[in-house]
Amino acid sequence: MDVLPSAVLPSAVSPSAVSPSAIGPSAVAPAAVAAAAQAACAAPPPRLAGPALENLHPALWRANQVGGARDPCFATGFGMLDATLPGGGWPGRALTELLLPHPGVGELRLLAPALAALMREGQALIWFDPPASLCSWALAALGLDAQQFVIVRGRDGLRGRARELLPAADTLWALEQALKSGHVGAVLAWLPQRLRADALRRLQLAAQAHPGPAFLFREAEARVRPSAAPLRLLLQPAGADRLLLRVLKRRGPPLLQPLCLALPPVLSNAARTRARQAAGQAPAVHAPGPVLG
Amino acid sequence: MLWLGLHLPLLSLEAFEALLAPEQRSGPVALLQDHRISAANAAAAQCGIKPGCKRATALALVPQLLFGQADAGRDAQALLAVARAALAFTPTVSLQPPSTVLLEVQASLRCFGGPAALLQRLRERLAPLGHALQIASAPTALGAALLARWQGNASVAGSGSASHGGSLAALQAALDVAPVWMLCADPEQAQAMHGMGLRTLAQLRQLPRSGLARRFGAGLLADLDRAYGSRPDPRASITLPPVFDSRLELFAHAETTEQVLQGAHVLLARLLAWAQAQHARVAAFTLVMLHETRLRGAPQAPACTELEIALAEPSGDAAHLQLLLRERLANVSLAAPALELRLRCRHLRHGAPPTGELFPTRASEHEGLTRLIERLRARLGDSQVQRVMAVPDHRPERASVLQPLQAALPRAEAARQQLPDAQGLAKRPVWLLPQPLALPERHWQPLFEGRPLQLLSGPERIEAGWWDGELAARDYFIAQAADGALVWVYRVRLSLSAPAQDPANVGWFLQGRFG
Repeated sequence: MDVLPSAVLPSAVSPSAVSPSAIGPSAVAPAAVAAAAQAACAAPPPRLAGPALENLHPALWRANQVGGARDPCFATGFGMLDATLPGGGWPGRALTELLLPHPGVGELRLLAPALAALMREGQALIWFDPPASLCSWALAALGLDAQQFVIVRGRDGLRGRARELLPAADTLWALEQALKSGHVGAVLAWLPQRLRADALRRLQLAAQAHPGPAFLFREAEARVRPSAAPLRLLLQPAGADRLLLRVLKRRGPPLLQPLCLALPPVLSNAARTRARQAAGQAPAVHAPGPVLG
Repeated sequence: MLWLGLHLPLLSLEAFEALLAPEQRSGPVALLQDHRISAANAAAAQCGIKPGCKRATALALVPQLLFGQADAGRDAQALLAVARAALAFTPTVSLQPPSTVLLEVQASLRCFGGPAALLQRLRERLAPLGHALQIASAPTALGAALLARWQGNASVAGSGSASHGGSLAALQAALDVAPVWMLCADPEQAQAMHGMGLRTLAQLRQLPRSGLARRFGAGLLADLDRAYGSRPDPRASITLPPVFDSRLELFAHAETTEQVLQGAHVLLARLLAWAQAQHARVAAFTLVMLHETRLRGAPQAPACTELEIALAEPSGDAAHLQLLLRERLANVSLAAPALELRLRCRHLRHGAPPTGELFPTRASEHEGLTRLIERLRARLGDSQVQRVMAVPDHRPERASVLQPLQAALPRAEAARQQLPDAQGLAKRPVWLLPQPLALPERHWQPLFEGRPLQLLSGPERIEAGWWDGELAARDYFIAQAADGALVWVYRVRLSLSAPAQDPANVGWFLQGRFG
């Protein structure tokens, strides 16, 4: 068994992270996090007599604090993002919704560090209805062994009217089974459009038996519709090898400023500079986060 | 010699009730033989229906009574299943028709830790077959059979009790007070003995043997001697057939797969009893549904439907097999009502089952994952659960092939070394479109969604496939779309040698997206 980097271990996420002052020192990129923390807590919490409310139960947090997590979280590999997410990583036993305008904005490069850590532990990944074929070469470059994936396709089975009436009932069933079984390392699912809220609610209940992270990829228009997922992120491309990430919902105060993450690069440095110049933007608008190869 | 007699007092009723839906089973049910009631369940007995009364009488008492026809063949199949399950404990198992199974367990006592432990395990093993049991042990085979039948009769409530005649003398003392009708072949004989004032076997033994043989035949005397141990009683043991093949006639025409499932559970329980008797686990089995042949609406309906269920990992778990069958049946629509079911199994994995784990470990997790995948395959179809295989080919659309996931997932440790070194690789997009998307062109620049693509990196030339007729001669570029996402496009290289190219295959194409 491989020795994991310490950031991946759930024990690295201490319960003291519930207090806002603990966010700054634990973060990797202090400048960016300070801004996030300022946005997070505008006013200091009022002093109360007796034990602090948030210490009564691990599931309690103040409205101006980022919530803690009882369940293990999985470090994202991006320090800025870890500091923003409650618990310091992708949550286990809960759904994580990623809203994308279209597949191919850098979503897999965002998830790859966490997924690779899970695969190194020997955990399985199940992919439900991926939107296109997977290239094993590209995944190997991200540290993922595509031959270990299980890919489940449910949509081809339905024909005719049933396909319109039942939006991939098979996929939802299979997804629920995978979440309930609790033997899967991580679940990645591309859900059909116009999914009903009760289906999501049901998946969220099933996810409580699933110790690993569960990622749902949905269309960006779903941001105005309610969802039971405790963590919702909106991803948008922001130039070459950059990803703009808005936290739509989390256990904590809303994050007003979007995060700009530097993804593992596809382009060479020269090509990236060329792309930025062509796009008419300065080479470094946002401080780049730690870049993972 | 220590014989265990397993008597199944309600065999024919239970064999029939197993075919019924649970709500039917809780209502009054009775079995008919020659227009007379031969057995009735508890609900029917409560309404006053007794074995022996006429059909019309029973209907007058309970108009909603559910009748079944007594079927000796069905009972024999059920009895055989019990006998096969008992083979897990001793090789010497013989049948005593109509409803008793005899086991010689003297040699097995030590292995299973004494009679009490053996009995408990025997009951646990027979529980899935769903029969009430009366068990007795005795030094002679027929003595054990008689005791099992009689002791249970004496106290119906304690039908699970086991009485033990330890020594031959104790057995003879127990048999002396047993009623004579148990030895009789038919009711007339019993009537005759009753008329002669014979009540117990002791009274029967006091009579002159020659006179008894003249009146009732030599068979009665021979049985009496065998039961008392004064005559040898050789028994033929049953053996397991190499291939499991069991049939079951359904009670009603099964129009839905739910009704089929009811009968299939019975067959699955028998299959597992057969597999466990040889310490094996089931690797694959076939359920055949025999349809009603002459259906007016569908003359072309097939005679039977076969469902082949192959497991990735052999299993001896009834619940898991039932679940797989349920998911598989949920996808099947019956062409015609099913009349009869047939379960066949010839693929077994012999050997001790894997050790169970108390705490979750890597192995138990892997087993859970295998079961999950089996379940998904049963419901969605084998071709819908896939894995990616890397193929050494330069053409990107051929370098990764999706294959149905056939066997169990390989353990992660085994395959880890195969991960290629990521450093020296050219950049490839994660998402590959199934069909390259043709892009329009303006001022020598490809357009995507109406806006020009900005080429950032390239060209990377891929030229391969001349040997299989799918020549790909392309220059690949990494380009940036208007919204900032990176895409992978190529331009088909113009070939000088073949000027007349297909116009649909010229120009710019989008093949992948960097996810």
